[in-house]
Amino acid sequence: MATSSVRDAASTALRLEVWVERNLRYLLLAPTVIILLGLTVFPTVYMYIVAFQKFDPSNPAASQWIGFDNFARLLSDDKFHNALYRTFEFTFFAVSIEFALGLGFALLVDKHIRNLNFIKTVLLIPMMLPPICVAIVWKLMYAPQFGVINDIFKRVGLHPLQWASGYDTAMLSVIIADVWEWTPFVFLMCLAGLASMPTEPFEAADLDGASSWQKFRDLTWPFLRPIVSITLLLRIMDAFRLFDQVYVLTLGGPAAATETLSYYIYKVAFRFFDIGYAAAISIFMLIVTLMFSTWLLKRMQIAD
Amino acid sequence: MRARDGVLRQRRTYVGLVAGVATAIGMTAAAWAADLTLAVPVGSEGDGLRAAAADYEKLKNIKVEIVQAPYANLFEKAANAGAQKTGDFDIVLMDDPWLPFFAENGYLEPLGSYFKAMGTDGPDSDFLAKSLALCRNPYNTGPYVCLPYVGNAQMFFYDPDQFAKHGVTGTPKTWDDVIKVAGEITKEGGGNNFGYVMRAAEGNPVVADFMPIFWSYGGQLFDKDRKPNLLTPEAKQAMDVFLKLKEVSPPGVESFNADEVGTYMAQGQAASSINWPNWVGTFEDPNQSKVVGKIAYSPIPSGTHAGSSEIGHWLMGITSASKHKQAAFDFMVWATSPEQIKQSALRGNPPVRFSVFTDPELTSQKQFRHFPILMNAINFSTPRPRHPKWPEIENAFGAELSKAVAGQETADQALQNAQKAIEAIVSR
Amino acid sequence: MAGTTTESQESGLKPQHQRWLAAIALVFAVAYTLFPVLWLLNNSFKTRLDMFSSPPIYINGNPTLFNYIQAFVERPFLQYMLNSAIVAICTTLLSLTAGTLAGYALARYDYGRAKKHISMWILSTRMMPPIVSIIPLYIMFSYFSLLDTKTALVVAYSGFNLPFVVWMMKSYFAEIPRDLEESAQVDGDTNLGALFRVILPLAAPGLAATSIFCLILSWNEFLLALIVTNTDRANTLPIGIAGRITQYKVEWGEISASGFAACVPIVLFAFVVQRHLVRGLSFGAVKG
Repeated sequence: MATSSVRDAASTALRLEVWVERNLRYLLLAPTVIILLGLTVFPTVYMYIVAFQKFDPSNPAASQWIGFDNFARLLSDDKFHNALYRTFEFTFFAVSIEFALGLGFALLVDKHIRNLNFIKTVLLIPMMLPPICVAIVWKLMYAPQFGVINDIFKRVGLHPLQWASGYDTAMLSVIIADVWEWTPFVFLMCLAGLASMPTEPFEAADLDGASSWQKFRDLTWPFLRPIVSITLLLRIMDAFRLFDQVYVLTLGGPAAATETLSYYIYKVAFRFFDIGYAAAISIFMLIVTLMFSTWLLKRMQIAD
Repeated sequence: MRARDGVLRQRRTYVGLVAGVATAIGMTAAAWAADLTLAVPVGSEGDGLRAAAADYEKLKNIKVEIVQAPYANLFEKAANAGAQKTGDFDIVLMDDPWLPFFAENGYLEPLGSYFKAMGTDGPDSDFLAKSLALCRNPYNTGPYVCLPYVGNAQMFFYDPDQFAKHGVTGTPKTWDDVIKVAGEITKEGGGNNFGYVMRAAEGNPVVADFMPIFWSYGGQLFDKDRKPNLLTPEAKQAMDVFLKLKEVSPPGVESFNADEVGTYMAQGQAASSINWPNWVGTFEDPNQSKVVGKIAYSPIPSGTHAGSSEIGHWLMGITSASKHKQAAFDFMVWATSPEQIKQSALRGNPPVRFSVFTDPELTSQKQFRHFPILMNAINFSTPRPRHPKWPEIENAFGAELSKAVAGQETADQALQNAQKAIEAIVSR
Repeated sequence: MAGTTTESQESGLKPQHQRWLAAIALVFAVAYTLFPVLWLLNNSFKTRLDMFSSPPIYINGNPTLFNYIQAFVERPFLQYMLNSAIVAICTTLLSLTAGTLAGYALARYDYGRAKKHISMWILSTRMMPPIVSIIPLYIMFSYFSLLDTKTALVVAYSGFNLPFVVWMMKSYFAEIPRDLEESAQVDGDTNLGALFRVILPLAAPGLAATSIFCLILSWNEFLLALIVTNTDRANTLPIGIAGRITQYKVEWGEISASGFAACVPIVLFAFVVQRHLVRGLSFGAVKG
């Protein structure tokens, strides 16, 4: 009896093994797919349902179907147009500056800090602070009267600015804080790309007498392009839904100069409880992001 | 053999993983039965009620759970719970302008039957009339849906020495006085001292600073038929005064909230402002203030009409989805009793009862010396317009005010655009 | 080709000049990076009065521990920190485990045309504006009685992290030669066995680098925690910090103290794995 149960167990284990091996490709994907489906199916369906309803806060189940009315509102809502414009403005400038600084700096110091892990880690600290904390420390530094930035400006003879308070400088202030927080990420990713570059082609190019620019264009850039693309994609996706900094630094003001889409959706959904309209804006935002990412991935030829 | 080892080892890994996840879920999802759950804001109001609830727990030997959330987030949480009828919270401590939204969507339990069971018609008359009026929906006439807990209303804060130096002794009576004196102080201050400091961040803050001035010039946001009413000479005049006050305020007020306003006052860099009574404690604390004992408090100055401050009470209501309504009501009655309101005052929250405002044991102390003025301010206060869409209206109005303050629109444009925006919201 | 030589002369700095330039840039970058952090630290030891002194106080002659005592003794910031740690560690373990397996599958197996769609779908889940998924997530967690639990946060954050983990690990595995598994299989290993015994150890630097990003995200996430958590049982650090911004007043001192304390554990962990940080990413992300 004992031997047969051992044999049973062994054969069950074997059968399991065969089954696992046969279906491994699906089993390996299963946890990820289950978690992501679990977290996205209901929210997505919910979003598409309420977007066609006039949400009734007293009884959500009895909300009225209103067809495309919420989407039609997008066309005439100036606040939405403003938020869209501000979001593009922020995303474009913040991400461009982050890449100019991060990539430029990585190229400049790459060869010199290969072994200086300590400094690399120090440079990453901004990314590790809670974003809400980043916003708060910048808010304190930006304060027109008590802030340290205006004090330094005065000491070196520059005209103090109103930073987050000024209509013309508020967006700049949000961008500067974001650049401070996220340039390290870009820098690290570019550094990683550079570190994995083979040296032989460069030696050959040196022998051919190629210029620095030629070497960058023909050798460095093709190597860097995939990592730069994926970093760009991640940064743009995050920048496009900027929320924390606006929430703490400016509340979207002054005069809506920093009201981004995320912050506007937040207000529509949670202050006005107009969930249907918020869902309509979100769907629009999702479509824009999806189209852009697909285009970028295709262009950079890194989707396989 | 190796293969089977591998499988066994893998199975052990699976079992370990599953067990680990199951324990984690079991640990965190352990049932947690509380007899009462309160949702309160962060800050002194929430801290005060939290301390009171801890006393009540000991007194009645029950378990009271406190959910404490940042201001705007408390509204989201309570609204979410209300819409989904989860009954997660038994009592919510609400800012008074939220009340129409909660009451008209049926999130709040009317209190009439509970009072009747107690043998009374409603709260006793020791509560200030203005405080009680807020607790009924519609305002002052409908059934009670709340009880008042924290009696906030704006006051005018100023430095009497500086005002006296510029010829206004005693309380500044009118906004004209304030503009004149503040202008002179700002001019002399050379960028380091200002006569007035405005709270003008977009949204709720700028509206809260504008409303008392608006009312002082006879403005009304809605006419009798609940239609927006901003294209009036009164509104225009208030707007002009508001923009003049901006001129004498420090640069950067476009993003100032109550905190920045208080900070300028506490650092002795601004001579006057409208603010909430919570700041009295800070001004009298030498670790936080350079102006200990120097700041005076007064009602809101007058314009063409008597000055009126914005009332900003915190009200306790029972959610209609609560499963412990009677227990919640008993707690509310206990927490708003004269003894407990006095306790609450000692914890730093303004009271809502006449007997506590006039309690000599309190008013003889320095940190309560503003009580007579505050009670006066409440008695002459005006509530924000009672409308279930108030948050959206306030936002639209605040957006236009912010544009005017930032110089992106003239006073007239701002009023016209606000009128249009509010009309659209009300009719939707 | 004459043009090339002039160009090369124009742009080619001498090596020692290059080194100087790099050194200056480095010093500047470190100062720029650290200044706000040091300013936060400086503020955390100031009274409210000193924090808003003008001109600002650069060297604080009157340091106080008041803010730290307020945050960690008077208020339950230690509890928040513990909650954050539990959530961050569980999230990282869960998303690394699931994401690594998926990344490996996508790098090694052929799913035909579906493969591209699976990869893209995984990435696209990160594009959903989080704000609008919050209400349905609230309804969902409420339905499963998971509101105000750390479990809810762990599950949700794992979802946020997975796209990044899958993509990073997928490209990482793509770099590891297939022969390694094949020779392991010749030795009698199953596919799964080969993955665990041969491939995963090779992927350690990639795992270390990816784990840092998972930790950072789940340690710092704000918006979802704001809605899903209610009490000190589940409130995380960012919620505790945001809670010091009150309706009438902002407790800058406590925020500075707790904010600085919040970044210490992550920074320490980053220093522990610093060796792997760049190498781990560089190995993988090249192919994308």
